[in-house]
Amino acid sequence: MKKALIIARWEFWEKVKTKTFLISLIVTPIIIIGFAMAPTMLSSQEDNTTKAIGVIDTSNIYFNALRRSSEKIKLPNGQPNFILVNLNSKDESLSTVKRTADDYSLSGKIEGYLYIINGGTDSVKVEYRSKNSGNFNDVNRLEEAFNNARIEIKLLHENINPSIMKYISSNVPVTPIKILEGGGAEKSDFLFLFFTSFIFILLLMMMILSSGGMLIRSLVEEKSNRLIEILVSSCTPDELLAGKVLGLSLLGLAQVFIWLLIGAALVGTSAVPVYAFNNIVPVMFYFALGFIFYTSIFVGVGSIVTTEQEAQQITSYLSMIIILPIVIAVPAIENPDSILVHAFSYIPFTIPAIMILRFNIGPVPLWEVIVSTALMIASIYLSVSIAAKIFKIGILSYGKRPSIKELIEWISEK
Amino acid sequence: MLEVKNLTKIFKDTVAVDNISFKIEPGKIFGLLGPNGAGKTTTIRTVLNIIKPSFGKILFDSKPTAKTFFNLTGYLPEERGLYKKGKVIDTIMYFAQLKNMERKTAYAEAHKWFKKMEIEKYEDKKIEELSKGNQQKVQFISAVIHNPKLLILDEPFSGFDPINQQLIKEVLLSFVISGKIIMLSTHQMDTAEKLCSDILLINNGKEVCSGNLSQIKKSYGTNFVKIEFDGDSSIISSHPSILHIDNYSNYAEIQLKEDALPYEFLRDIASKINVTHFSIVEPTLNKIFIDSIKQSSN
Repeated sequence: MKKALIIARWEFWEKVKTKTFLISLIVTPIIIIGFAMAPTMLSSQEDNTTKAIGVIDTSNIYFNALRRSSEKIKLPNGQPNFILVNLNSKDESLSTVKRTADDYSLSGKIEGYLYIINGGTDSVKVEYRSKNSGNFNDVNRLEEAFNNARIEIKLLHENINPSIMKYISSNVPVTPIKILEGGGAEKSDFLFLFFTSFIFILLLMMMILSSGGMLIRSLVEEKSNRLIEILVSSCTPDELLAGKVLGLSLLGLAQVFIWLLIGAALVGTSAVPVYAFNNIVPVMFYFALGFIFYTSIFVGVGSIVTTEQEAQQITSYLSMIIILPIVIAVPAIENPDSILVHAFSYIPFTIPAIMILRFNIGPVPLWEVIVSTALMIASIYLSVSIAAKIFKIGILSYGKRPSIKELIEWISEK
Repeated sequence: MLEVKNLTKIFKDTVAVDNISFKIEPGKIFGLLGPNGAGKTTTIRTVLNIIKPSFGKILFDSKPTAKTFFNLTGYLPEERGLYKKGKVIDTIMYFAQLKNMERKTAYAEAHKWFKKMEIEKYEDKKIEELSKGNQQKVQFISAVIHNPKLLILDEPFSGFDPINQQLIKEVLLSFVISGKIIMLSTHQMDTAEKLCSDILLINNGKEVCSGNLSQIKKSYGTNFVKIEFDGDSSIISSHPSILHIDNYSNYAEIQLKEDALPYEFLRDIASKINVTHFSIVEPTLNKIFIDSIKQSSN
């Protein structure tokens, strides 16, 4: 065991001294904080200019009502968001009017225009035609304005008090509130889930990828210059494996510890809200389990590759498995009780990420915590012992990568 | 003493080492020789306890090799290489500690070796900043710093210039005096010839010949002459007393037929060409190697 510690110390310090480590130490939190700030910054970056929107309405019913209802939509600085321009012309044909409107839009005279088809009938349709079809905010607001205008016209037509109009068009939002153990409650939104869950899942993935990559690269180096033979003539392969995994885990822990310190220092600022550390104990627990599990897989895989290219290829395959939890994270938030999410709570590859998520979405029954932990520990035991067997033979084989059949032989060898 | 008894190693469908036995006594350099792929590396790995033999025993001082055996061995593999980004002193300290050395002793020993190998000024440099020869010296130090009882060297001289080869040779001879067991694997037959007292020659995993080098030479036959000359070499090679000739334009190693007498042969050819040197010699290890391997392969 003493030799495993010597190896762990060497692996730890040699990697701490590298530029890659320093870069990932600094760059990772910057990226993550960037992720956190981006939505806030983007939404506050809304434009402050009033947009000119054309209207082509051959039925001539909607324009006035539409103008009234659109004027109610204000920019954050109090200016109206849109100013409507009637592009109808009695003298010209519809196609000429449309062509002129298209030209105005393309040349930037107007932002775009609403083209109302079959006005006054039940099959009324509206197109918003503009240079860039992208602006969802504009389309949504114009849609709201048009529908309000349509209802208003209808109500006026039926001689109904316009004050009812106000009632109809006012919208009551439903706010999601998460009940906490002990009677508390808090607002639940994307930023909340981001800070409590995504950030840790992202960290876990980035750490597994960067340290796993480092591990594979160092194994490839040791194999190609036969350092591995000097190592295994000084200690057993098990000691070497234990030393490497230990050193790497310490490296990971040190990294997380530093990040947590940075996070704690920024608590309460716009970058890190207080609730980010709400479930830190179970989150760190699953984090550690996930890290050890994936590291042992990287060890097994790393010991069978012989060149840098092969290493990169295999790392990219593994990354795909590691990305999987992020892909299922979004449906998991939308529907935390779905069978899919529960199923992924029992697959070792996804347990850590899903459990980190579930802890922050709502309370997790104790039995599920116990079952998933037991599953995780069993899979770690399995993957470590398989990795150790592959490692023992793999580190001394050069040249061709072993076939699946050979791998199975290695694993079943006593 | 290191004893290897009936060592056999089978990999799936190939017999890499087939029933090999040898002994190495302290204070002796033992040459493990053979062509590429003969099974030398497998033999070395088994002796070092890196892989387990399929059959046979390895005894060190009459006891089976145990886990502590790791700390008694030093190994210099044929392919060299160290952690490129590691510092010279850190790397050596790491390997020393893996051989169970105390930090303090390792540090002191490292500095003795830096001086002996004339690389004191590179102590704090990264390995990748050193010349190839100096990297080799660092690796050599890391193989011997813990004063191993058994030292296994695979091509220890490759990559060194003649001056440094001399330096390594002197170090090896000092190890012989201090009573280490040394196993040398090399393709440089002249080096092996000068250094090794016993050899084992293997081919395709099997022993071809083994034992004390001077006895092997004696048993291999006498009638070997070495000749240096000016003139037409075809006159020599067509001489009827010759059994075999290695001709190097103005120098030749010759094996005469068993009944031929060396001085008669000299008299005969001296009348035809200008002989500048003539000596009766033992067969060279190089010749023994080539002949025995050819014979065993047929």
